[in-house]
This record gives sequence, C-alpha cells and structure tokens, in this order.
Amino acid sequence: MFKKTGMLWLGLAATAASYAGKLNVVTTTSDLASITEVVAGDLAKVSSICSGNQDPHHLQARPKYVMMARKADLWIRIGMELEIGWEMPVIDSSRNRKIRPGSPGHLDTSKNIKKRAIPDANQLSRAMGDVHAQGNPHYLIDPENAKQVAGEIAERLGELDPKNAETYQENAAAFSSKIDEKMVGWKSAMAELDGKSVVTYHKSWLYFCEQFGVHIAIELEPKPGIPPSPKHLTRVIQTVAAEDIKIILQEPWYSTKAAQRVADKTGVRIVTAPTYTGSDPEAGDYIALIDLIVKRLTE
Amino acid sequence: MKHLNSTAMVLAGTLLAINVSALEASNTPVPTHTDSTSALSAFNPAVSAIVDMYFYHEDSEEGLSHMKEEIAGFGGHGHDDEHDHDHGGKENGFNLNHIELTFSAEVDNYFKALANVAISEDGVEIEEAWAETTGLPWGFQAKAGKFFSNFGYINAQHAHAWDFSDQPLIYELSLGSHGLNDKGVQLSWLAPTPVYLLFGAEIFQGDNERMYVQEEADELPENDGPRLGVGWVKLAPFQFEKSELQLGLFGASGSHQEIHEEGGGTNYFDGVNWFAGADAVYKFDSGKAYGQGDAVVQAEYFYRNKDLDQEGGDEEVSGAQDGYYIQGTYGILPRWRTGLRWEQVGLTNEETEENVTEEFGKSWRASAMLDFRPSEFSQVRFQVSNGDYDLGDEGVENVWEAFVQLTFSIGAHGAHNF
Repeated sequence: MFKKTGMLWLGLAATAASYAGKLNVVTTTSDLASITEVVAGDLAKVSSICSGNQDPHHLQARPKYVMMARKADLWIRIGMELEIGWEMPVIDSSRNRKIRPGSPGHLDTSKNIKKRAIPDANQLSRAMGDVHAQGNPHYLIDPENAKQVAGEIAERLGELDPKNAETYQENAAAFSSKIDEKMVGWKSAMAELDGKSVVTYHKSWLYFCEQFGVHIAIELEPKPGIPPSPKHLTRVIQTVAAEDIKIILQEPWYSTKAAQRVADKTGVRIVTAPTYTGSDPEAGDYIALIDLIVKRLTE
Repeated sequence: MKHLNSTAMVLAGTLLAINVSALEASNTPVPTHTDSTSALSAFNPAVSAIVDMYFYHEDSEEGLSHMKEEIAGFGGHGHDDEHDHDHGGKENGFNLNHIELTFSAEVDNYFKALANVAISEDGVEIEEAWAETTGLPWGFQAKAGKFFSNFGYINAQHAHAWDFSDQPLIYELSLGSHGLNDKGVQLSWLAPTPVYLLFGAEIFQGDNERMYVQEEADELPENDGPRLGVGWVKLAPFQFEKSELQLGLFGASGSHQEIHEEGGGTNYFDGVNWFAGADAVYKFDSGKAYGQGDAVVQAEYFYRNKDLDQEGGDEEVSGAQDGYYIQGTYGILPRWRTGLRWEQVGLTNEETEENVTEEFGKSWRASAMLDFRPSEFSQVRFQVSNGDYDLGDEGVENVWEAFVQLTFSIGAHGAHNF
C-alpha cells in the first residue's frame, strides 16, 4: 500500500519536473508579476504571492506560499521592508536555497529606485507608525519606476537564462516605450490635477502623485498603519476646507467610512482605485492599472 | 496644437520632477551600502525584546495552580522541578511573565541561528538556542540546539504568540508550562508532492518537567540520553486564495521515572511514557485592513499513555489520559479580535497500580477573550475563563479566572510562521 502511494507521488513529481524547461518566477506582489510577464513573455511561468486584493504589508506566511516558493527559480520582491512580516518564513520553509536573499535567484527591485520619504535616522522611532527605515516602499505605482524595474528584471532573467537574454532586453525595452507612449496620455489627462492637492488614505500614493505633480495635503491615517481617529478626521476636514481639496484617494481594502465622514462635511469626492493589478477586472495588467487610476481620478 | 501642448506639458512635468528630485536629494540623506548604520545592521543579529505582563484574579480557595497539581489522573506525582520561571504559577494581582530577548541572524552561507533568552524576576533561562540549515537539498532541513518541538500546532509557539493568555489545559497538565521544549536535533522533509506535506522527526535529551522526568535516586537506573523521540506530519491539502487548512498527526515516546511514597514505603518506577494526537488549523484572511474579518479556528487532541515497572520489585504502574481544545478568533473591528475556547481533559482517565485500575472523571474549561492591537508591536487582552476541575476524592471545584494582559515588543519587526 505504502509502496503504491510512494510510486504515485514519484509519478506526480516527475510530471512537475517536466515543466522545468521554463523558468519559474514568483513575485511578492501582483504588479511585479504583471511586469515580469511582459518581460518574460512565454519563456517563464510567473505567479504572485499577493493577489491584488491583499495588502502586502499584512499577509501571513502560509503553506500555499511555501509551495509556490519551493519551485521558484527566481523570487522578485518590492523590498524596503514591505514584505518583512512574512517573506523569510516563506523562503525558510520552502527549503529553496536558490531564492534566498543574496542569491542570483533573489531580486530586490528597489535597489536602484530613487527612494522617497526616508525618515531622518536620528529621529526614527516606532512612534512614527508603520514607517520604513529605507523609505516609502510604494514606488512601483510610478510608471517611470516600472520602466526601471522592467530593466532590472530583464537583466536578472538574462543572467539566469543567458540564451534568451536578448529577448528579455527587447521585451523590457518594448515595455518602456509603451509606458513612454502611454505617459503622454496619462499626463494630459492628469493635467487638470497638476498642482492641485488631494487627500489619500495611506501613504501609498506618494510616488504616483509626485510623478503627476499632485500634492498630497494629508492622509486619513494619522500615522502609517494607524486607522483614522475622530480627532485626526477633524484636522482632515479643516485641511480639505482650507486647501479646497476635491478628492480623497484610497485603496479598495480600506473602509470608506472615514472618507465618507469627511465627504459629508466638505463635499469632497471619494475615489477608490487599486494600487495592484488584478484587484479590479479593469486592472488586468500594469498599464491597465495606471489607466484605471487615471480614469478614476479624472472622471 | 494639442500634441504640442502635451509635449510642452511633459517637458514641464519632467523639468519639475527633476527639480523636485534635486531638492529632495539635497535634503534627504540617501543610505547606501557604504552607509555605516545600514551596513552594520545587515551583519548584526536582529534583536527584539518582548515584555509580557498581566493582572490576574481567580476565585478558588486553595489556588488554581496548586489545584492543577491535584487534578485526578494528571497530578498526584507532580514533581516540582525547580524551574527558574514558571508560566503556570500565576498569582492573584500583578504578574510579570518574563522578558524574552531574541537574537537571530544568518550565521553564514549554510546556517541561520536564533537565541531566545527568557529573563524573569527569578533568573535567566534559555528558551531557545538553535541553528538551522538553509541549504540542504531535496527539501530537507535540519535543526540542532534547544528548541520547541514542532509537533501539533501550539507547542512551537511562544507564550506571547498564543491567542489566549494561557495555554490549553491538556498541554499545561501533560507537558508543563513550557510545553515540549528540549535539547536535541530535528530533521524535516518537505515532500515533493503537489500538496503541502511536511514530515518531521526529532530526538531530544528527554527533560520535561512532567512527562519525561529522570529522578535522582540510587534505586533508579541512570538512563543515558537521548531519551525521547518525536515524529509528526503536517498536510495542507487545499490552496485557496483567502484561506488555508492545515492538518497534522503526531506521536512521541520516551523514558520516564517516578517515585511513589505510599503507606510508609517508597517505590521506584522506571519505564516509558508516550503520547499521540492530531491537530487542525484553519485561517481565513478577509483582505480587509487592520485584521478586520480575519478568522482562525484551531483544535488539537492529545492522548498519553504511561507504562512503568518497579525497580527492585514486580509492581507495575500504568495510566492513560487525554484531552482536547478547540478555539476560534475573529476580527470584529479594525485591530480588535474576539475569541472563544472550549477544552476538556480526562475523557480517558485511568491509572493502574498494584493491579487495581482506578477511573477518574473529566475536567473542563471555557474561555472568552477580547484583544486590541494598537500596532503590530503592542497588544492589550482581556480574558475570562470558567471551569470545573475534578480533584478526585475532594470532589469537583468550579473556578473563575480573569486576565488583563499587556504584551509589547521592541526592536526588530517579527515575522511569524503559519
């Protein structure tokens, strides 16, 4: 009996191994997966740990993720401590030495990103809320950074799979030109908000807003990771009135209650837009995601 | 015209962006890999301290921790090993559980290591000190040192990670307040199956304050270590997007000694204690912010059996007890969770001595808790428990317990296993 089951497992393992021709890439977030899919084309199987509907800050290590990591040839993360609560337990449990930090199979795409909102090291304290010592990790929402990340992914894929290195570079270059092309439209659509102020829920829109010249006046969260308090909402309402703010921008996983309270007092418009691909049927890939954010902000 | 306009806009935007970034660069120090603080911290171990304290009140006459030593079938031969800090010995009023200092880092290309030192008012104890391989092939992983056995679900968790302020009765009564925490080695294997299937084998020295005791007496043999073996398997059969179910089976067997002082005489016993059981955990991730809507249900069943022979005589002592708990927590509001726990011990509860088998009754406890996590680093918990404890000849006593627990952690951001 045991022998028979053993043979069955071996058989299944052999089936799994026959897919081995393709690179197996696992990304921590779905936007990274979307960019990797564009860069790799048919040459890799790409999957994301975080679905677009999950906040990557608060994921929990699970057997499912261990199973994904176990077979990965390349692990791509956002970095800057975004995945700090669950990444290492997943990698440790997967027993996959190829993807440990520092290995060729582990890519941190934040390495060459121009980081924003790096807290002053002399004043850094947990009292500041959920701040990241290396800066704000939500950089991929800026399409210019997506180009940079596509380049990094192409380079790493090329190192792991040298015979297709050129294809990866070409795909990344094509992605970059596509972004440049789309950027013209995004900029002109966003022109109406250029120089204007908005309120966001969490500090996850910083890079996007900077790219399009939008000023973030205040967040609904009093400090990153701390839900809105009545006292803080009073401040938000005052700021909205004083700066004549028209928009509150937030991700779908946050409740709109706090925003609604501000809207009732001030008439500000609540815009719910995803920051990750796959969380909305209209945000199927990275470019569609930016399209959707721009559309929601300007409709 | 329109095209020209947008080109100008892009140009202006780019210039603005360059300007902004130039300003940004002049104000903010950008840490590089040569930056002394970040480079150093990369080589230093991650350090954290966890402080766990509580206000406790229970209404029994002789003290619940004393009563637990007397629970029919589970007590009687309690060996008060002088443990430096005892989670079980709760006093009415303020209690400082202990401070856990944790250091962890990659040792080199081959190992990662962790040391966890528990400091209490009574002294210092090494809770964990181990190294684990990071590069074994074919899904193997080996660990050596002092660590919590990974059998079942709750045993491997530190006290501050429990969803309730105290551990399940069956664990406390069978393995003591530390659970199964011992010196030894562990080898585990993640099978190359399409579902998550993890096998583990552990060999321990066999020092446990309750189930694996080696007495110091000339009449008893000195059994060489290692004296305890543990085996377990965990299976996560489904890969849902938002939830996960993990099932487990476990068993262990090791050497145990007892000294019985009865009727003026002293009898010495040496033999085998074994246990076996099953565990199940289900977790649901709602995807909402701050843990709202998240749910966890977990349950464990534990059966133990004792077989001892008299040294210098032909008496035998044997016994069997069991117990289970089932608990659930739910995120009722952002950052607030509530939980319920039901548990019973002694569904099987018998002890045979001098060919006379005694049957004992069962005990139960029900608990409700509410906790609030202002951030990932702090927690306030309120818990109320009520239970009936079967004390054998002294009858059954009902006891209420209440906790207000405060846990906070400073230092490195922790990462938790499933």
